[in-house]
Amino acid sequence: MFGIENPGIWISYLLSFVCVAFAFWFGITRWNKEDKNHDDTKNTEK
Amino acid sequence: MSTLTLGVIVILYMFAIAWLGYIGYKQTKSASDYLLGGSKTNSVIMALSYGATFISASAIVGFGGVSATFGMGLQWLCMLNMLMGVIVAFIFFGRRTRKLGVQHGARTFAQLLGLHYKSRAIQIFIAAIIFIGMPLYAAVVMKGGAVFIAQIFKIDVDLALLIFTLIVAAYVITGGLKGVMYTDAMQAIIMFLCMLFMLFWFYYSMGLGFTEANEELTNIAHLVPERLKALGHQGWTAMPVTGSAQWYTLVTSLIMGVGIGCLAQPQLVVRFMTVDSSKQLNRGVLIGCLFIFVTVGSIYHIGPLSNLFFLKTEGVVASEITADIDKIIPIFIDKAMPGWFGAIFMLCILSASMSTLSAQFHTMGGAFGSDVFPKLGRKRDPNSTIGVRLGVLCSILVSYVICYTLSDSIIARGTALFMGVCAATFLPAYFCTLYWKGVTRQGALASLFVGALASLFAMTFLHKAEAAPIGLCKAIFGKDVLIDVYPWFAIDPILFALPLSVLTIIIVCFATSKTTNR
Repeated sequence: MFGIENPGIWISYLLSFVCVAFAFWFGITRWNKEDKNHDDTKNTEK
Repeated sequence: MSTLTLGVIVILYMFAIAWLGYIGYKQTKSASDYLLGGSKTNSVIMALSYGATFISASAIVGFGGVSATFGMGLQWLCMLNMLMGVIVAFIFFGRRTRKLGVQHGARTFAQLLGLHYKSRAIQIFIAAIIFIGMPLYAAVVMKGGAVFIAQIFKIDVDLALLIFTLIVAAYVITGGLKGVMYTDAMQAIIMFLCMLFMLFWFYYSMGLGFTEANEELTNIAHLVPERLKALGHQGWTAMPVTGSAQWYTLVTSLIMGVGIGCLAQPQLVVRFMTVDSSKQLNRGVLIGCLFIFVTVGSIYHIGPLSNLFFLKTEGVVASEITADIDKIIPIFIDKAMPGWFGAIFMLCILSASMSTLSAQFHTMGGAFGSDVFPKLGRKRDPNSTIGVRLGVLCSILVSYVICYTLSDSIIARGTALFMGVCAATFLPAYFCTLYWKGVTRQGALASLFVGALASLFAMTFLHKAEAAPIGLCKAIFGKDVLIDVYPWFAIDPILFALPLSVLTIIIVCFATSKTTNR
């Protein structure tokens, strides 16, 4: 895969791409989403 | 490129840094502003600052040189940097850290744990580890920046080091965390664009595609120098022989040490406390990951491929160009990239070094002036930042002196060493603080002690790479390491120290759970 025969190397590339894809999915779907469990210490004016 | 053009570019860059530092200075009214930037930092600035702090010149110059010498196995570190350093760090550590920081009113990493356990001992111990251990890492980063500046400007390394240190000192001491984060964000953008350009230019100038270049690199595996083959090198597109000396260095020191160690870096943890909601951290996952992917991914990919370039132009592979691994990337940029890019790339290295260094100096200053000597300079004004600024100054001086004692090819190893110590010392206590209600003050303190002592012991008596230069083991026992049977002396200290630290916190917490307040 990717012109690399050694699975020890191409798997690292593949997982890197997976990480980026996950980060895009996570960041975009939660761009404006606040987690109340983690934000309950904020001011009550919300 | 002429010296005049280089000078103009650098002066423009310095003006931008000075302007951002000045904005930070104007917006800093209190000690909280100086240490946490007012806790209302924009998500983009926070994530870029996190990324720029994370990725230093060590990653580009040091680890880039390592990848050029040892191959693409270092891509595992890029993957771990994203997975552990951003995804796990932001989602599983960042949100709880931010919440806990607000609850306790903590302004530093040491305060976060110290206030949580109501333990001054924990706070001081963490601050001491930071103030004693971090100068080595800072010195390594300084060396990375200075070596590159000296290479590009053809000036003496000592002069490059002095100028570089003075500039960083000026804006960290005056601008506080706001100044640091604003400059970090600008520096992160420069790094991002430079690495992206470098990647595309390489393929363009070599006339190769992604797959094609990888295949060509595979085909020149027989050119690996004999001295590297003896260490387990099998080619630049293959992992080293499992269990070989190179494999242990790559997997236990570079990949695990840095990949896991990045979770417990005090200067990174503090970034989570600079935002006012978890929404900002969610956004940071995307920005941070993309930044790491492009910057680190590019250099760890281009590093091994530089062998194709050197083979084509010089007739030898990268490791034969220079004996000092830390000089491979500077030489590659000098020879492979267009002349004008050398100056721009110099800004990239400057940015990478300055962003990491500024965060390190700021963290060490906080440890000194806010954790160890919280009353320093605050008799008249409780909001005074004199103590912290004094701490920053001391840390700069110590790092500067250490820089002169560093040997060649130390950049990547020095970084891995510090991150390994952080992981073994801080990670179990930090993780349990966030996730385990059964953790006790004694357990956390014991884990911190055992992690630090075990790391120190392993470095002094077990791991040959550090034990031999230190020489204490030889002076006492007459041999470089206590266990001179392979592979024990090749295993990184993190593999001894981290499990011990984890075991300690579990055992002591269960032993003290009924007798102590949490």
